[in-house]
Amino acid sequence: MTKVQLQETEHATPTESIRIGVYVCHCGLNIAGSVDCEAVAKFAATLPYVVVSKDYRYTCSEPGQELIRSDIKEYKLNRVVVASCSPRLHEPTFRRVCEDAGLNKYLFEMANIREHCSWVHLHDRESATEKAEDLVRMAVARAALLEPEEENTVPITRKALVIGGGVAGIQAALDLADTGYHVYLVERDPSIGGRMAQLDKTFPTMDCSICILAPKMADAGRHPNIELLTNSEVQEVKGYIGNFKAKVMKKPRYVTDECTACGDCVPVCSVTVPNEFDVGLSTRHGIYIPFPQAVPSTYIVDRELCLNKENIIVCDKCIKACERQAIDFEMKPEILELEVGTIVVATGADVFDPASLVEYGYTKFPNVITSLEFERLINAGGPSGGHIIRPSDMKIPETVAFIQCVGSRSERGHLYCSNVCCMNTIKDSLLIKEHWPETKIYVFYLDIRAYGKGFEDLYKRAKKEGVLFIRGLPAEVIEDRKTRNLWLIGENTLQQELYRINAEMAILSIGIEPRKDSAVIQRLLTLSRTQDGFFMEAHPKLRPVDAPTGGIFLAGCAESPKDIKDSVTQASAAAARASILMAKGKVTVEAITPRLIEENCTVCGLCARVCPYNAIIFDKEAKRVEFIEAACGGCGTCAAECPFDAIKMRHFTDEQIFAQIDAATQLDAEKKIIAFCCNWCSYAGADFAGVSRMQYPTNVRIIRTMCSGRVAPKFVEYAFARGAAAVLVSGCHIGDCHYINANYQTLKRVEKLWKKMERLELNKDRLQLEWINASEGERLASKIREMQAIVGSVSAEEIENSKKMMRKG
Amino acid sequence: MTSYALFLGCTIPARQSNYELSSRKALAKLGIELVDLANMTCCAPPPVQSIDLETSLAVAAYNICLAEEADLNLITLCSGCFESLSIANATLKADEQLKAKINRILSEAGKEFLGSKEVKHLLQVLVDDVGLERLKQRVSKPLSNLKVAAFYGCHVLRPSELLKFDDPERPSILENLIETLGAKSVEYRNKLKCCGGLLRGFSDDLALDLAREKLANTTKAGADCIATLCPFCFVALDLGQLQIKSKLNETFDMPVFHYSELLSLALGIDPKELALEAHKVKTDKIISKIS
Amino acid sequence: MAQKTEAPKKNVEPLKMDPSFKYEVMKEHDGETLKICFQCGSCTSSCPTARFSDSYRPRTILRLAQLGIRQKILPSPTLWLCTACFTCTDRCPQDVKVASVLRVLRNLAVKEGQTPRIFIELASNIYETGYAYKIPELRQKKRETVGLPPLPKASLDRVDRLLELAGGSKLIKSKEAQ
Repeated sequence: MTKVQLQETEHATPTESIRIGVYVCHCGLNIAGSVDCEAVAKFAATLPYVVVSKDYRYTCSEPGQELIRSDIKEYKLNRVVVASCSPRLHEPTFRRVCEDAGLNKYLFEMANIREHCSWVHLHDRESATEKAEDLVRMAVARAALLEPEEENTVPITRKALVIGGGVAGIQAALDLADTGYHVYLVERDPSIGGRMAQLDKTFPTMDCSICILAPKMADAGRHPNIELLTNSEVQEVKGYIGNFKAKVMKKPRYVTDECTACGDCVPVCSVTVPNEFDVGLSTRHGIYIPFPQAVPSTYIVDRELCLNKENIIVCDKCIKACERQAIDFEMKPEILELEVGTIVVATGADVFDPASLVEYGYTKFPNVITSLEFERLINAGGPSGGHIIRPSDMKIPETVAFIQCVGSRSERGHLYCSNVCCMNTIKDSLLIKEHWPETKIYVFYLDIRAYGKGFEDLYKRAKKEGVLFIRGLPAEVIEDRKTRNLWLIGENTLQQELYRINAEMAILSIGIEPRKDSAVIQRLLTLSRTQDGFFMEAHPKLRPVDAPTGGIFLAGCAESPKDIKDSVTQASAAAARASILMAKGKVTVEAITPRLIEENCTVCGLCARVCPYNAIIFDKEAKRVEFIEAACGGCGTCAAECPFDAIKMRHFTDEQIFAQIDAATQLDAEKKIIAFCCNWCSYAGADFAGVSRMQYPTNVRIIRTMCSGRVAPKFVEYAFARGAAAVLVSGCHIGDCHYINANYQTLKRVEKLWKKMERLELNKDRLQLEWINASEGERLASKIREMQAIVGSVSAEEIENSKKMMRKG
Repeated sequence: MTSYALFLGCTIPARQSNYELSSRKALAKLGIELVDLANMTCCAPPPVQSIDLETSLAVAAYNICLAEEADLNLITLCSGCFESLSIANATLKADEQLKAKINRILSEAGKEFLGSKEVKHLLQVLVDDVGLERLKQRVSKPLSNLKVAAFYGCHVLRPSELLKFDDPERPSILENLIETLGAKSVEYRNKLKCCGGLLRGFSDDLALDLAREKLANTTKAGADCIATLCPFCFVALDLGQLQIKSKLNETFDMPVFHYSELLSLALGIDPKELALEAHKVKTDKIISKIS
Repeated sequence: MAQKTEAPKKNVEPLKMDPSFKYEVMKEHDGETLKICFQCGSCTSSCPTARFSDSYRPRTILRLAQLGIRQKILPSPTLWLCTACFTCTDRCPQDVKVASVLRVLRNLAVKEGQTPRIFIELASNIYETGYAYKIPELRQKKRETVGLPPLPKASLDRVDRLLELAGGSKLIKSKEAQ
């Protein structure tokens, strides 16, 4: 080590008297098997500020924890470094140990010498030990600059907003209301009930859908804690966890609460249009109730239909027919302002429109219908009184064919499996068999996914009833023009024979797709969506109902295609998660949020522009920049964007990161790769590579940031200025960012850096950007292997060059 | 005046002067200039691609290079040529690595593929450069009374991602062109299925089965004749009828025309100038029906 | 597997599978899509040839290729029944370039010397005349009588050079020698 180099850094050195204890864990043989832990501990003792350094067999065990606690007291330690596993595993454990001993938990630091070292360099003890020493050096350098932090708390309004009144929204609202919280249940349609209200029976139990849903709808309608806002839409949401302000527009029904739902108005109305609830298979009037069980049980006027060409209402038949004078065309839209602490998003899903798959002839051949249309046909309350009749001649078909995966698992629709269609078809086939046992039923499928409780039984029952399952989707459906019967042509893939099957009716088992306007809710609530277009959860396994934005929860098909049971389960989970927050009444915010260094701030507003959470109040005129701590996610992209070093990211400060770079480049910088990995995806991916024992070169040094958006260009430049051979910036895939979209900034910054390197005639391959998610350990490992080749090709002259150029900036 | 480098290929000069003649005459009347470039070679059709892809790409690209040198886009009459040249053109334009590889081969023949030109089928030129409106105005002998079964064949439509000719599931360009001539386009079953032409000589029975289906369906639909745009489809359906007669003892007597022939007739070109004797199925009854 | 067999008299030997075969296919242009095929059968059911043939099943060929049962693919004459209509490619729900994968398989068959006669003829025609189909002398002369311009000559030496370099001629000639 050369003192001169360190001074070159011009970055901070600690001011107080720092006393660091270092604990190197053997983890049995997990670490000690390929790293000389004793040597690492001895090495650590030579580092600045280290007053005690020990190696220990299982540091996380109770005696190990006790060792640290007593050392803190005995040696008056004010910083602790544990070199063991990933901080994603045991950082909380050791932070607690520190707190027990009276040390602020933010003064603890970990060196990951297991997942990032011993496990991935199983066969090179010498290099692995060297790397472990480097990692400890980096951790100690960072520890010296750590600062104690206090965690803030924000109060939480004990009211909830549920958006969407399908079965998921109803369940979430009821659970929250029963817990004692006031709930606003907002539904866009005139009635709550959603998709489930349209279905005839439900699988696998074959219960009548509306019979089990209607009581819940009624409960929601009269619950003292639920304020039902139907025919209403959320227009704006401001604020943050615990403190949201939502604007909801309540569209006029033109029918007042005086309505007794007697229905006298309906027969007099002279206009008819396709009935949405029956997916267009029947008609409704201009004044109508969506369906008999609707909640609220109030009529509504489709005012557009009452207007003539000059936009004037010319007909007053319904007004005259209403004894209670409940019809009022003067009603105006109302804007309600709601203050809530939590929000449940249960906005549901749309169905795939199969008209784009021309070969199936939907809309061209009358006897090709969708599975949703079938639900209305087979429903006793539907347009045909529960008879499946062919649209062409109103005859009950003797042969019915179901075609599966329409719009699912396909480049010509959606790539995902829609989850419910297999079981729905099996259920539908049984319903037909129940009413008309002689019907011949074919199901053309790719795979039957009967994975749930009771599903396989139902599948078996369908087979017993004589439903014929044929593996292989038809390539096309042809219509016989005289009979309007259909020919289905395809391959029976298990037999390797072509089939040409005549059916009197074909039912397309259509998939589920995200709401066409889900971008609106996404924007209002700053949510993110997966590539499929459904809303993304905070963590796919461990926080499956939390949205990445605090205080917002997801339920039902808005998150992904799911059946009723799963929707209800998720809704209850979302309600429980929201209740936890509201029960506490306050929320603690991790102390990794930014602080403004006012003397440096020029009020330029760049930080506010890149903040994914709108958590920065920027007022040019009032010369005001303010961080809303509760809304901040802590990604740090604001600090990376600030050209004036006016933002301090707590616990991930510039100084701490510079110190890590210094330490990592102290020895043999010209052979090293400095890798910046985001906590959620890439760092976790590197952990995964370790758990999977994927081997890669030892010369990479990983620096953890919460988000790749924290990686300021100056960090990369500094790594090169310090002589690093290569730099890797790595984060979540675009679209998967845990901070909504902060990694777009990463991309922009790296692209800028590449341009700069080109301008300076530096080999831009030395800076690599790779999106690596938590399951892509191999992607990380192979990236490091690939970069090893780049490291090997960089000449000493090039290193010197970049040192010079980058130092100039 | 719009000019194109004419890519004739082999099948048309080898046995279908009627297609070439009608296309040249009709296009001349419509103000499209055809330039005959020297040194053109094979389009490297699917059988050649089946032997070796890179060889086929090099041979196909060689032709495109000639057009690039002459600064002309290419026009083809044959769907096979259209498909092969378009695939090569699109593939090499999209894949830099493959382009470099093929260019290394081409450089030995003194050529470099740049990717600066388009390959178009006759029908696209009619629609894009002449336009249906103008075409309608130029029709002097409308083919009223004539019921025509449009037959695309496979090779102009697919792979649609690369060829971008028309919607492969619901094409309409040929029907529109037929109606523009005053004729009626009739629908028939399995319109878009293959004619079997490429199987001729390799699996004749199969080839005839495919052709037979086509002829049976167009007959059933009441068509007076079939309009094709590819020499292989023409042979499969025209000559195919003689073979079906001798092998399967089934007579259709369904005249087959290239669209360019119908176009020429509608533009008022004398049928005697069109070498219609090249047709195996006699065309007389159609000619008398329209004159 | 693909072919129907008579009732076996002794224990059936399992088919030999070559796991590396799929990588051979995937190395070639558009061959890389082989692995994502999930055997739905859209290709076979869209295939105009399959509709009239007892043996031609594109899906089955792809499955055999995935499994690496090369002995059932490369020597089989059915491999050559594709008419290159590309309906399979267009309709594949997983974007497998079915027709191109089949082309890759034919290319591999050629390398093993399994080229059907007529394909060699067509290809060697290019070598001799510049075109896959020969244009008879008589036709050339007849052009003028119907009012067509003379046919421009193909530049044979250059085209032959191309074939030599691209390796195609070797494949054609080696087979001729057999």
